[in-house]
Amino acid sequence: MAKKRKWWSGLLVLSLVGVLFTGCSTNNTAGSSTNAPAATTAPAESATPDATEAPAADAPVDGGTLVTSTFSDIVNINPLMINDTSSGDVAQFVFAKLYNLDREGNVQAEDWSLAAALPEISEDGLTYTVKLKDTAKWSDGQPVIADDVVYTIETAKNPETGSPLTSAFDKVKSVEKVDDHTVKITMSQVYAPFLYALVQEIVPAHVLKDVKPAEMQKNAYGTDPAKTVTNGPWKWTAWKQGESHTLDADPNYWGTVKPHIAQVIYKIYADQNTEVQAIMKGDTDHISAIPVTQVEAVKADGKIDIIQKPGAQYEYVNFNFDGKNFPDGYGLFQGQKTRQAIAHALNRQGMVDNILKGVGALMNAPFLPDTWADPGDAAVNYDYNAETAKKLLAEDGWVADAKDGILVKDGHRFSFELQYNAGNSRREQVAAVIQQNLKDVGIEVKPKAIDFAAWIDQNVTPGKYQALLLAWSLNTPDPDAESIFSSKYFPPAGQNSGWYKNEKLDKLWVDGYSTVDQAKRKEIYKEVGKEISTDLPYVFLYQYGQAIGTGPRVHWAEEDAPEPSLGYGQFFHAIKWWVTE
Amino acid sequence: MTEYLIRRVLQSVLVIFLITILTFLLIHAAPGGPTQVMLAPGLTPEIFEQQAKNLGLDQPIHIQYFHWIGDLLQGDLGYTFKNHIAISDLLWPRIGNTIILMGAAWLVSLLIAIPWGIYNSTKVYGLSDQTASFISYLGFAMPTFWFGILLQQWLSLKLDWFPLSDMHTRGKEDSIADLFMHLVLPVTVLALGFLASYMKYARASMLEVLDQDYIRTARAKGVKERKVVFRHALRNALIPIITILGLDLPILVGGAALTENVFNWPGMGRWFVEMATAREYSALMAVTIVTAVMVVIGNLLADILYVVVDPRVKLGKQGGKAA
Repeated sequence: MAKKRKWWSGLLVLSLVGVLFTGCSTNNTAGSSTNAPAATTAPAESATPDATEAPAADAPVDGGTLVTSTFSDIVNINPLMINDTSSGDVAQFVFAKLYNLDREGNVQAEDWSLAAALPEISEDGLTYTVKLKDTAKWSDGQPVIADDVVYTIETAKNPETGSPLTSAFDKVKSVEKVDDHTVKITMSQVYAPFLYALVQEIVPAHVLKDVKPAEMQKNAYGTDPAKTVTNGPWKWTAWKQGESHTLDADPNYWGTVKPHIAQVIYKIYADQNTEVQAIMKGDTDHISAIPVTQVEAVKADGKIDIIQKPGAQYEYVNFNFDGKNFPDGYGLFQGQKTRQAIAHALNRQGMVDNILKGVGALMNAPFLPDTWADPGDAAVNYDYNAETAKKLLAEDGWVADAKDGILVKDGHRFSFELQYNAGNSRREQVAAVIQQNLKDVGIEVKPKAIDFAAWIDQNVTPGKYQALLLAWSLNTPDPDAESIFSSKYFPPAGQNSGWYKNEKLDKLWVDGYSTVDQAKRKEIYKEVGKEISTDLPYVFLYQYGQAIGTGPRVHWAEEDAPEPSLGYGQFFHAIKWWVTE
Repeated sequence: MTEYLIRRVLQSVLVIFLITILTFLLIHAAPGGPTQVMLAPGLTPEIFEQQAKNLGLDQPIHIQYFHWIGDLLQGDLGYTFKNHIAISDLLWPRIGNTIILMGAAWLVSLLIAIPWGIYNSTKVYGLSDQTASFISYLGFAMPTFWFGILLQQWLSLKLDWFPLSDMHTRGKEDSIADLFMHLVLPVTVLALGFLASYMKYARASMLEVLDQDYIRTARAKGVKERKVVFRHALRNALIPIITILGLDLPILVGGAALTENVFNWPGMGRWFVEMATAREYSALMAVTIVTAVMVVIGNLLADILYVVVDPRVKLGKQGGKAA
C-alpha cells in the first residue's frame, strides 16, 4: 500500500455559507498594485493543459511578500504526521523532499531535491540506493545526512508512531546507512509504486531521535515554529492560531536555486466564499480552490488569473456488496447487469457540464485520463441511455411494480440509501441528479448527507452502508489501487469498504506492482481497466478539480506555472516565482 | 448582600459541576471520535487503536472525566487531540477577539435601542416609531451572513471605504484606528440583529409601565411629562430589560459563527464549530465552562442591578428577594 490515499475530506471542502452574492462585479479592487505589468493580463479562458495563462514574465525580482490562503488551519507539519492538505501546503515551502515530481508526474532529483540523482534500483528490483547531496542543511545548520532518512523511514514504519505514512513504507524490509550520504533501502517484495514513496519530506534525526514513537504526535516538532527544524527554501517563523502562518526565506538555504519571494504568508479564511472575496479585494494573492459556482464571477472581475484543469482526484458511486447492509440480507447490487444498468442510467456528462461547469473528465476506470496507465478505449464507456439501462435491468430479472413503478425482484424493492458527507454542495447536487436519473429507470434513491466524522466512523470504515458518493484524491501518479479494490483490504482494516471481491482483479493488482517495467505494467493496467469497467465495483463518475486563482502581483515563467494535476501542484516551482508590489 | 452573593456563587459552582458531567457525557455520545477525523480512513485498526491509546481515549469514560476535571481544578484546560496544543493558548485570544466584536456590537445596539425605544413609547405610531418598527423587522428577517456579504460587496469591494474582512491589516496589528475600521461592517451587521430585539423590549416595557395607575396618578398630580417618563417610568421599565441583558451576556463570549465566517473574524463562534466537527472534547468542554460561568455572572449582575434600579428590591439576609 505504498500509495497515500485520502478521502477528499468533507471538512476541507465544506463551505458553511451556501450563498454568495455574486451579482456585483467591479473593476475597482483598490488596494492591489497597478504598476505591475501583469495588471493588464486578460482573464484566463479555458482549461487547455499547456496554455496556462502565466502572469507577465519580465525579469524576476527578489523580495516581497506572497499571500496565499486556504480555508482550514494546519494540524501538524511534522512530515511523519501530515494528514491534511493545509499542513501539506505549509510543508511544501519549508521542507525539501528526497525527490520531486516534474510537470508530467515523473520522479526527478531537482536542484531543490535532497537526493543528488535518481535512485539506483537493483536488477531484481528489491533494493533502492539513494545518494544525498552533500550540501543540504537543516535550518539549525546541521547537515542533512543518511541518518535522517533512515530515522524517518524507520519511525514511519513503526506502528507505535501512528504515522499516516506507515502504509507507504510497509513493504520496506530494511533501511540502512551506507555512508553519510548514501542510504540503501531493501524491499520485502518487488513493488513498483515505491519510487513515489521517495517523493517525501524527511525529519531531522538529531532533533527527534530521543522522542518515543508513541509520543511523536504530541511532540512540539511540527506544531511549534521555534522547535520545528526544517530544510526548505523558507522557514516557519510564526503561527497565529486560526489566522496565519509566516514563512520567511531562509538566508542559509543550501540549494543553488534560491527563492525570489522573501516572505510567504499562509492565511486562513473561514471558508471558500470568504477566500474568494478576499482575492477579489486583493487581501490574498493566490487561492487554490475557487468553487465552481464562483469561477464566472471571479473571471468577470478581470484581475484574477484562473487556472482551471481537473486535478488528481475523481468522484465515484460505491456499491456495497455485503448483503448484511440490506433488508432481509438481500444485496441489491449483486447482479453485474444491474450495476451496468446504473452506469447507463447516470448522466455523467451532464454532471460534468452542469455541476462542474465543464471542468472535469469522464472516467471509466480508476486511472486518471491522459496518464500513462489510462486504459483509454480498453475500458467500457457507459453512455447515458435510460433505455439500455431498463433493458439490462429487465434482463437481470427486475420488474416494475404496478403501483409506483419501482422495480422489484424476488419480492425486494429496488430502493437504496446513497450516503455522502454533509456540507459538500457539489456532492449534494450530484446526489440529486443521481436520484432523478435512477428514478427514471425505476430505482428509488434516498440521498443522505451525514456529518463527516460520524460517517467515516459508523459507515465508511466498517463498510456499513448501501451505496456512497465519495471521491479519491490521488497523492501519487502511480496507478496501483490494490488497497481500495482488492479483497485483501476488506473493512475495517482496508479501504475496500464496499466488500468487493473479484479474484481476477485481485491477481492483476499484484501483477501490476510486481514489475518495475512500465511497458509491462501498462499492459496489466489495461487489463485491469477492462475488467473493472465491466464488473463495476464503482460507477466511476469523473475526474474533477478546483480552479486556482492568482492575483496580479504574482509572476512566474511559463514552465513554472502551477500544475493542478499534481498533488500540491498549486505551488509547483514556487521557488522560482516572484512578486511585484 | 455579601452572604447572598457567596451563597449564589456556591450554588453556581455546583450547577457548573453538574453541567460539566452532563456535557462530557453528551459530547462523548456523539458518533465518531477525534481519531476518525485525524487519521486517513482505511488505515489498519491497529493504527487507530494505537493513536487512541497515545491520546488516552481508550480509557473508560469516567476515568477520562476524572482526568479532565482534575486538570481543570489545577487550572489546566487540556490539549487538543489532533496536535497537542494547549486549549488555553487557543481559547483566550479567541475570547478576547470575540469580546471586542460582540461587545462593540452590543454597546452600539444598546446605545441606540434603549433611548430610541423609550422615545418611541411616548410617541406610539409616530414616524420615528414606524421607522424603528421597520428596522426591527429588517433586523429579525434578514439573514446576518447575507447582510454581511451585501455590505462587503458595496462598502468594501465597490467603494473601498472599509476593509473586507479580518481583524487587522497585516503590519498594523497595534493600530486602534485600523481595528476600528475592521469593526465597522461586522458590528453593523450584528448590532442590527441586537437592535431589533432590544428596541422592541424597551418600547414594550415602557408602554406597559406608562399604562400603570401610579403614572396616571403622577400625571394627574401635574408632574411634568419629562419627569414622568424619566423619573417614574424609566426606572421601572428598565427592570425587564436588565433581565434580558443579563441573560444575553454569554453571547459576548459565545460569538456569532456566521458573522465571524463572513468577516473572517477569529472569534469563538467559528472556533466552536471547528472544534465540534473535529470532536475536540477538551476544547468543547472549555467553551462549555466559559459559557456556563458567563450565564452565572450575567444572572448575578442582573440581580445586583435590580437593587440599584428598583427601590423595592432588597437582598435580604435570607438570600431571597424581599419585595
